[in-house]
Amino acid sequence: MWGKILSYIPEWKVFMQGFIVFFIPYIIFKLFNGIVSKQKTHEDEMKEINDQTNQKVELEHQKSSQGSYDHYTGDFNLDVELVKNEIGHNWDVHVREFHIGNTDIRAAIIFLDGLSDKELIDKHILASLMGNVLKKDEQESIYEKGVFLQTFIKNEVLSVSDITEEYDVKQSVGKILLGATALIIDGIPNVLMLGTVKGKSRNFEEPVSEALVRGPRLGFTETLSDNTALLRQHGENSDLSIINFQVGKRTKKELVIAYIQEIADPNLIEEVKKRIQSITIDDVAESGYVEQLIEDNYLSPFTQVQNTERPDRVFAALMEGRVAILLDGTPFALIVPVTFSMLLQSPEDYYERWLPSTLIRLLRYLAAAITLFAPSLYISFVSFHQGLIPTKLALSMMGTREGVPFPAIIEALIMEVAIEILREAGLRLPKPIGPTMGIVGGLVIGEAAVQAGIVSPIMVIVVALTAISSFAIPQYNAGISLRMLRFVAMFFAALFGLYGVILFFLLLCSHLVKLKSFGIPYVSPTVPYRASDWKDFMVRMPLMMMKRRPKMLHTKDSSRQD
Amino acid sequence: MMMNSQDKITPSQAVVILVNYILATGILTLPRTSVEKVKTPDVWISVFLGGIIAIIASLIIVKLSQKFPEKTFYQYSQDIVGKWIGCFLSLLIIVYFFTISAFEVRIMAEVTSLFLLEGTPTWAIILPFMWIGLYLISSGINGIARLFEIIFPITFVLFLLVAFLSLGIFEIDNLRPVLGLGVMPVLKGVKTATLAFLGPEIMLLLVAFMKKSEKTKAVKVVLVGLTIPLIFYVITVVMVIGALSVKGVVTRTWPTLELMRSFEIPGLIFERFESFLLVIWIMQIFATFTITYFAAALGLAQLFKKNIQPFIFGLLPLIYIISMTPKNINDLFKFGNMIGNTALFLFGVLPIILLIILRLKGGKT
Amino acid sequence: MKLNYMKGRFKLGLLLSFILLLLTGCWSSKEIEDLGLIVGTSLDLETDTNSREESEEQEARNSNKELITITNQFVTSETTGSGPKEGKKQQAYKNVSETGDAVLPTLRNMILKNDKRAFAEHSKVIVIGEDFASTFNLKQTMDFFLRELEMRPSALLLIAKNHASNILESNEPSKIPAFQLVEMMKGHKKTTKIIPPMTFAKLEGKLYSEASFLLQSVVSENDEIKFVGAAVIEGKTKKLRGFLTGKELEGITWITGKGKGGLVTSFYEETDQPIIYEIISTKSKIIPHVDGENISFNVKIESEGRIAEHWVLSEKTFDNKFLKKAEKATEKEVERLVKNVLDKIQHEYQTDVSGFGTRLRIEYPKVWEKVKKDWDQIFSGVPIQCEVNITIKDYGTSGE
Repeated sequence: MWGKILSYIPEWKVFMQGFIVFFIPYIIFKLFNGIVSKQKTHEDEMKEINDQTNQKVELEHQKSSQGSYDHYTGDFNLDVELVKNEIGHNWDVHVREFHIGNTDIRAAIIFLDGLSDKELIDKHILASLMGNVLKKDEQESIYEKGVFLQTFIKNEVLSVSDITEEYDVKQSVGKILLGATALIIDGIPNVLMLGTVKGKSRNFEEPVSEALVRGPRLGFTETLSDNTALLRQHGENSDLSIINFQVGKRTKKELVIAYIQEIADPNLIEEVKKRIQSITIDDVAESGYVEQLIEDNYLSPFTQVQNTERPDRVFAALMEGRVAILLDGTPFALIVPVTFSMLLQSPEDYYERWLPSTLIRLLRYLAAAITLFAPSLYISFVSFHQGLIPTKLALSMMGTREGVPFPAIIEALIMEVAIEILREAGLRLPKPIGPTMGIVGGLVIGEAAVQAGIVSPIMVIVVALTAISSFAIPQYNAGISLRMLRFVAMFFAALFGLYGVILFFLLLCSHLVKLKSFGIPYVSPTVPYRASDWKDFMVRMPLMMMKRRPKMLHTKDSSRQD
Repeated sequence: MMMNSQDKITPSQAVVILVNYILATGILTLPRTSVEKVKTPDVWISVFLGGIIAIIASLIIVKLSQKFPEKTFYQYSQDIVGKWIGCFLSLLIIVYFFTISAFEVRIMAEVTSLFLLEGTPTWAIILPFMWIGLYLISSGINGIARLFEIIFPITFVLFLLVAFLSLGIFEIDNLRPVLGLGVMPVLKGVKTATLAFLGPEIMLLLVAFMKKSEKTKAVKVVLVGLTIPLIFYVITVVMVIGALSVKGVVTRTWPTLELMRSFEIPGLIFERFESFLLVIWIMQIFATFTITYFAAALGLAQLFKKNIQPFIFGLLPLIYIISMTPKNINDLFKFGNMIGNTALFLFGVLPIILLIILRLKGGKT
Repeated sequence: MKLNYMKGRFKLGLLLSFILLLLTGCWSSKEIEDLGLIVGTSLDLETDTNSREESEEQEARNSNKELITITNQFVTSETTGSGPKEGKKQQAYKNVSETGDAVLPTLRNMILKNDKRAFAEHSKVIVIGEDFASTFNLKQTMDFFLRELEMRPSALLLIAKNHASNILESNEPSKIPAFQLVEMMKGHKKTTKIIPPMTFAKLEGKLYSEASFLLQSVVSENDEIKFVGAAVIEGKTKKLRGFLTGKELEGITWITGKGKGGLVTSFYEETDQPIIYEIISTKSKIIPHVDGENISFNVKIESEGRIAEHWVLSEKTFDNKFLKKAEKATEKEVERLVKNVLDKIQHEYQTDVSGFGTRLRIEYPKVWEKVKKDWDQIFSGVPIQCEVNITIKDYGTSGE
C-alpha cells in the first residue's frame, strides 16, 4: 500500500518543472509591475520638478512685475524699446514707425511677417491711420487729450473688427507672435492689439488616409477652428458641446473635446477631462501624443483610441454617445471609447444599403482573420500536421516545397519581412515612384525567390493574401497591430503547430477581454451578449431596425428614432 | 478578496460558464465509457437520464446557494455547520477543484501529444497552457466569463458542423434496436453518464456573483446550462455509435476523434475535420481548467480572507505536480473516475445534508 | 533606484534568454517535403524461398513461421515535384517491399531502404493478398493498422486475388494506383457489382463482433486493375472463406437493398432477346420470423427503374403490356440472382454476409442473444423466402 503510494510520487524533474511553472510567470508579473511602478515614480518625480519650476517661474514673475518695465509707459521710444527688447532680435518681427495722418504724433505697428495679414495692415490699418485722420482745426484739442485720441482712433479710424487694449508687455508680445499687430501710439500708456491673424491653413481636401467611394469628400485640416466649424456645420445642433483645454507645458496648444450634451455619458466626459488634464508633457506634437498619453493600457498591442480625418465619422461617433478630441495643428481627431469592432467598420457601411454593407463587413472580419492566422496556419500544417490537409493539397505542397532549403517558419519569416519592408518603402517613397516600387518589389522578388527555390509558390500566395487582407482593414493602425500579432502567431505555430495557434488565440482573447477603453470593455459588443448591439456588429441591419444607440455606452438618451 | 461591483455576471454569462465547464473530457470519451457499461445501442438514453439526474442535483445546489445570495459556498458553509467543519468542507471542495483542473490539463496534454504534437514533451505542452490560464484568471470572474462567451459560439458552430458532416457514415442500424434488452443495461450506464455532467457545482460560487435582481434566474440558468451540454452529448453519442457501431466504439480510446478521422469529404476545402474538433475541444478544456483553477484560488482567498493574487500563483506548481502524477493513460482514466466518485458525494449528497441542517436550524430559531 | 533598474534589466535578460531557449525546441516539427507519404499498402504471404532466406538472416529465430511481405506505395516530393523537367516521364510513385514476421518490424525495416520519413496519414487503401487473408486472422494482422495513430480509419480495405503487390503496380507511370482504387470505389453508386466501401472505421466493429462480412476484391490482369466480386470473411476465424463472383455480388446487393444504381439484364421470354433494366432505387426488407426455435426470413425487394436498352424488335415500350412483361422478366432474373447467392453463402460458405443477423438482432434482440454465438451455422439452415417487385417507371427518350 505504502509502496504503491510512493510509486506515484513523481520524479524530482517534475518538481523542478513545477517550480518553473510558478517561477517564470511570477518573474514576468513582477517585471511588469516593476515597469508600471517605476513609471509611476518617474511621473511623481516629474511632477515634483514641474512644481518646482512652476514655483520658480512664479517667483521670477513676481520679481519682474516689481520692476517698472512690465507695463507700457506711454513714452513712445521707451515702449518701442520694450517690445524690441523682448522680441526685436527675431528676423521676422517688423516694426514700422510712422506719423498719424496730418499730425506729428508718432506711432508704430509691430507685426510678425508671415502670420499677419499684410493686406489688411496696408489697406485698413496703415491707410486709415496715415490718411486724412484729423481736420486741421481739431488737431490741437485732440492732441491734448491723450486718452481721447485712443478712443477716437479705435472708434472712428481703424476699420478692423478685432481690437483689444493691452497693458502688459509680455502678453502683447505673445499675441504678436501669434500674428496680431500691435499699435503703439505716442502718449498712450497701452497698445492696441489688432486682430490681423492670418493663420496658415490649407484648403479642405479629401482625407487621404480614409478614402471612401460614397460619402462626403471633406477632411479635417490642421486648423482647430476650421475643424470645429466643420463639426458645427454638420447640422444645427445646440447640444453639441465643444470644451477647450490647453495642453503642453512649454508650447501651449489648443485642444477641444466635443460631445453631445444630451447623449454622452457624464461619467465618460469626466473621465476624458480628467485624463486630458493629467497630460504634463512639454509639447504635444500631434494627436498621436494625446492618444498615447490617455490610453488605458500602453502595453497592449491594440489601439484603444480611434483616429480619423473624417468629420462625418466623428459626428457619427458623437451621435452614438462617444467623445471626440481635436487638437490644433493636426487633421486627426480622436474618438473614445473604442471597441474592437469599430476598427473593422467604415462610415460607408452606413451610406450603402444594408445588404452589401453587411457582406462587406463580414468580408472584413474574414480579412482580419486571414491577416492574423494565415501564415501561422500554413506553418503549422506544413511543418506539423501534414495529416490534416487534403491529400491532393499535401501532394502539391510537397512538390512545390521540393528543394526549399529552409523550414516553413524561416521561409515565412523571409517573405513576411520582405513584404513589410516593401510596404514601408512604398509608403515613404515619393508618390509617383511608390506604386512602381510595390509592383517591382512584389512581382520581381516573389517570382525570383520562387525561381531561385528559396521559397515555395504556395508561401508566396499565402504572403500575398495576408498582405492584401491586412489592407482591407479600414483603420490603418488596427491593421498594423494585427500585422504585428501575426508574427507572434507565427512563432507560436513554429513551436507548437496548431496547438500553438489555439494557444495564441486563447492568449489574444484573454488579453482582449481584460482590455478596456475608457471603462468600456474592448470586446463589446461581442460579449457580454447584448442582442440589441449586435445589429451593428458583424452585420449592419437596416437603419429602420437600428432604433437604439449602443447600450454599452450607457447613453443618456438611448433612442435614435421613433 | 473583496468583490467589487464590477465583478458581477449576467445570467447569460452564468449559462455560458456552466456549459463551458461541463463540456470537457466527456466529448471525447463519453461514448466509450458509457458503451462499456451499457453494451447496447441505448447509450443515448443513459446519457439523457444522466443529464436529468445532474439537473436535479444542480437544482438542489442552486436552492442551497440562493439561501445565501451574497455569499459563496466557502463563506456560507461556515454559517451552516460552524467554523471548523465549514472550513474542512471548503478545503475539500478546493482540493476537488484544483484536482479536476490538474486532471483536465493532463488529459489535454495526452490528447495533444497523441494527435497533434508527437514528440513534444508533456511539460512543454502544459506550461504555456497553464500560463495563459493564469493570465486569464488574474482578470477575475468577469474576464473569464467574457472569454467563455467568445469561445462558446465557436464551439457551438464548429461542433454542429463536424457532427453533421459525419452523417455521411451514419448507419441507423447501429443504433437499433431501442431497448432491445430491456431497461437494465440503460440503468447500468446512468452513473457513468452522470459523471460526464460534472460542473453544476460551480453554481455554489456563481450565484454570489450574479446581480441581485437576477438571482432568481439561477434556476433557469441551471436548466439552460445543463440542457445545452445534454444535447451536445446526446448528439455525440448518437453520431459516434451510429458510425462506429457498439462493438467498434468500445475498443477506441478516443472514439469521437476516431469518428472525425473516419470520413473525408473531398472538395470541402479541408477534407479532414478532426482538427476542428481538436480546436474546440482544447478550448473547452481551457475553459474547464480556468474556471476550476479560479474556483480553487477564490476558495483559498476567501478562506484565508486574503488577496487572490498569491493563491493564483501558489496553486500553479501544485496543479502541475498533480497533473503529472498519473503514470499512464489508464492511471489517468482511473484518476478521473476517482474525481467523479468524489464529486458524486460532494455535490450530490452534501448539498442535501446542508439543506436539511439549515431547515432544522431554521425550525429552531 | 539604480540598483532596482539593474535588477529589472537582469530579469528581462533572464526572460529573453528563456524565450530563446524555447525557440530552439521545435520538438515535433517535420517539414512536409521530407516525408514519404504512404498512399497504399499491400500485404502478402511470402512464398518466394529466396527472399525467405534473406530475411531469415535478419530474423533467424522465427524461421519456421510464415513470413509476410509488405509493399508500401510511397509518394514523395521527388515523385510529385517538378523534378527533372525534360527527359523521360517520371513515375509518380515508388513501391518499396520488405519481408518480416510482424507488420511493424517489417515496416520499420523500410527505413533502411528509404531516405524519406514514412508518413501514413494519407494512406488510402490497404490491399490484402488472397493467401495472406486465408492464412492469418485479420483481427491479429490488422491490429497494427487499427492501433497506429497515423493510419486514418477512413482508409479502405481490399482483398486481392493472387498477389496483392501487383495491384499497386500500374503501367501508366503518371497514375498512382492507390488513388485509382479509391476513385474506382466510388463507382458503387453506378453498379451493383461493387459493395459499399469498407473503411477501417467500419471494419473495427465487424472485427470485434462475430459477424461475417464482405470485402471488395480486386484483381490485376495484364497490368490492369479490375474489381471482381467480393471476398467472404468468416466471422469466427476472421479468415478468407472464398470469393463471390460479380453476379453473386449483385444478388447480395439486391438483398441488402444498398444498390444505388446498376443494371439487370433479363431475356424476353418470347424472343430471348435482352432487356436491360436500370435501377433508379431499390428498397429491401428482410423480415425475420421466429416461431419457437425456428427462425425464418422473408426478403421483400422493391425496385424502381427504367428500361435503358432493349433488343426486342417486335415490341414497343409505349405498350404497357410489354412493360409488364419486361417487369416480370426482370423480377425473375433478380430472383434468380438472389436465390443463387443465397444458395452459395448458406450452403457453400455457411456465412451470413448479407445482414440477416442484423435484422434478427434488431427485431428479436432476445433471440439474437441466444443464437449469435453460432449464427453462421444456424444461418446455413434457415429457410429464406424471396419476393421481388419491379416497377418500370420510364424508358428514356425512345418509345420504340
